[in-house]
Amino acid sequence: MTTRDRLVLIGVMALALLAAVWLLLVSPERKTASKLSSEISTASAQLASAQGDQASAQAAQRRYSAAYSSVVSLGKAVPASEEVPSLMYQIAQATNARHVQFNSITTGGGASGASAGSASSTVAAAAASAGFSQMPFTFVFGGSFDDLYRLFRQLNAATVRTSSGGLQVSGRLLTLQGVKLEPAGTEGSSQLTGTITATAYVLPASQGLTAGATPTSPTTPGSATSASSTPASSTPSSSSAAPAPAATIGAVR
Amino acid sequence: MKAVNLIPSEERRGRSAGVGRSGGAAYIVLGALGVLAVLVLLYGMARHQVSDRKGKLATITAQTQRAQEAATALTPYTSFVALREQRMQAVEAVVDSRFDWAHAFHELGRVLPRETSISSIDGTVGGAAATSTASAPAASSTTTAPTASATSATPPGSVPAMTLGGCASSQAEVALTLQRLRLMDGVSAVSLQSSAKSSASGAGGASSKGNCKANSPTFTVQITFEPLPTPAASSGSATKLTASTGGGQ
Repeated sequence: MTTRDRLVLIGVMALALLAAVWLLLVSPERKTASKLSSEISTASAQLASAQGDQASAQAAQRRYSAAYSSVVSLGKAVPASEEVPSLMYQIAQATNARHVQFNSITTGGGASGASAGSASSTVAAAAASAGFSQMPFTFVFGGSFDDLYRLFRQLNAATVRTSSGGLQVSGRLLTLQGVKLEPAGTEGSSQLTGTITATAYVLPASQGLTAGATPTSPTTPGSATSASSTPASSTPSSSSAAPAPAATIGAVR
Repeated sequence: MKAVNLIPSEERRGRSAGVGRSGGAAYIVLGALGVLAVLVLLYGMARHQVSDRKGKLATITAQTQRAQEAATALTPYTSFVALREQRMQAVEAVVDSRFDWAHAFHELGRVLPRETSISSIDGTVGGAAATSTASAPAASSTTTAPTASATSATPPGSVPAMTLGGCASSQAEVALTLQRLRLMDGVSAVSLQSSAKSSASGAGGASSKGNCKANSPTFTVQITFEPLPTPAASSGSATKLTASTGGGQ
């Protein structure tokens, strides 16, 4: 074997050794490191998302008390059950304040009332499936034009937007669909008969007023999830829970 | 005579300098060792990185799990707040989709001429006016207008309409009444259905009740208002709710 042959052989062996070291040790380790790097990136994103969820949840926990008060207050506008007595009381109170006679109340859209009856009930039926349950009523009042005008204003004002864009709830939410005014009958009298076709709203029977929550703790995860997973068109709440007790109602956020 | 080179062969000129006795093999070995050292260095660094990143990954995974568990534990709160937002938005949608009849009556009183009296008012929202009055414009087409708040009994897009029955001192006064009614806030159309002297009120079809004089024309007018607006999307969390126990003044 000549010197040159020896050199070539040594060179080849050295290259082979280096290649083996690279392929068997260094390269796999570098690949592992690279893979871990991408895994860390993914995990970091997941961590950020989880931390965001956690922050949201903690914020929700801090706001729970206010949210509970809001939900209870909204129950005054849209109760969990029909609450016809409270509605009648509210209207009677409003009519007394306006010197208006509260002559009659008829449930179901009122065939004898304003001509809005049939059409509005069609609209109501189409809408009822999407959110609040609707309770059509027909009210008949007696009074002067001015008094009836003020009464209508007051009925709307039970649940109304404030000038700042908020919501002020002081009574049952009513939508007046039809209004009919005609003379009360006496010739020359300024007294009118006002027939109103209106709709009150009730929370769907499948929901509770507070979905099982109490002032101190929310509902169980299962029921809360089911309640909140309903579409936005539906609004929560409930069934047997009574309307908000007056003591719990106040200015809330 | 043949010349003889007495210089040792490894020191003769022409051989590469520094090759030495190994013929350059030493350099090859040294070079290989150098490269091997670099490779070992790279390997060590890679190992360190792997170890470091594994620890970091484990830490992040543990943190993620803790955060998820904490969020899961608070799910009832999140759900309840979401419930509140949904309910608030639904109530707002209904409130915003109502027609303000009181304001309409206020406007009616504002624009009505002095020589005109009203004997009946029949107002509806939606298609009701179209069923009772063939000429009612556009009301029926919007009865089932698809809206964001299907909850409301008067969904956005519904068209409020009002039918007035009354009498005026003259036909000119009826014309003036029509003009004045167009000045009402939110009115989109005012159309006369009939106007006839009260002596022929049966043919005219208008109500003859009220304080109409014997020879005064009685009229029936259809007022159509602008469709109910679509509520602007609002963030429930930003909405302030105020509740009171009062009678709702």
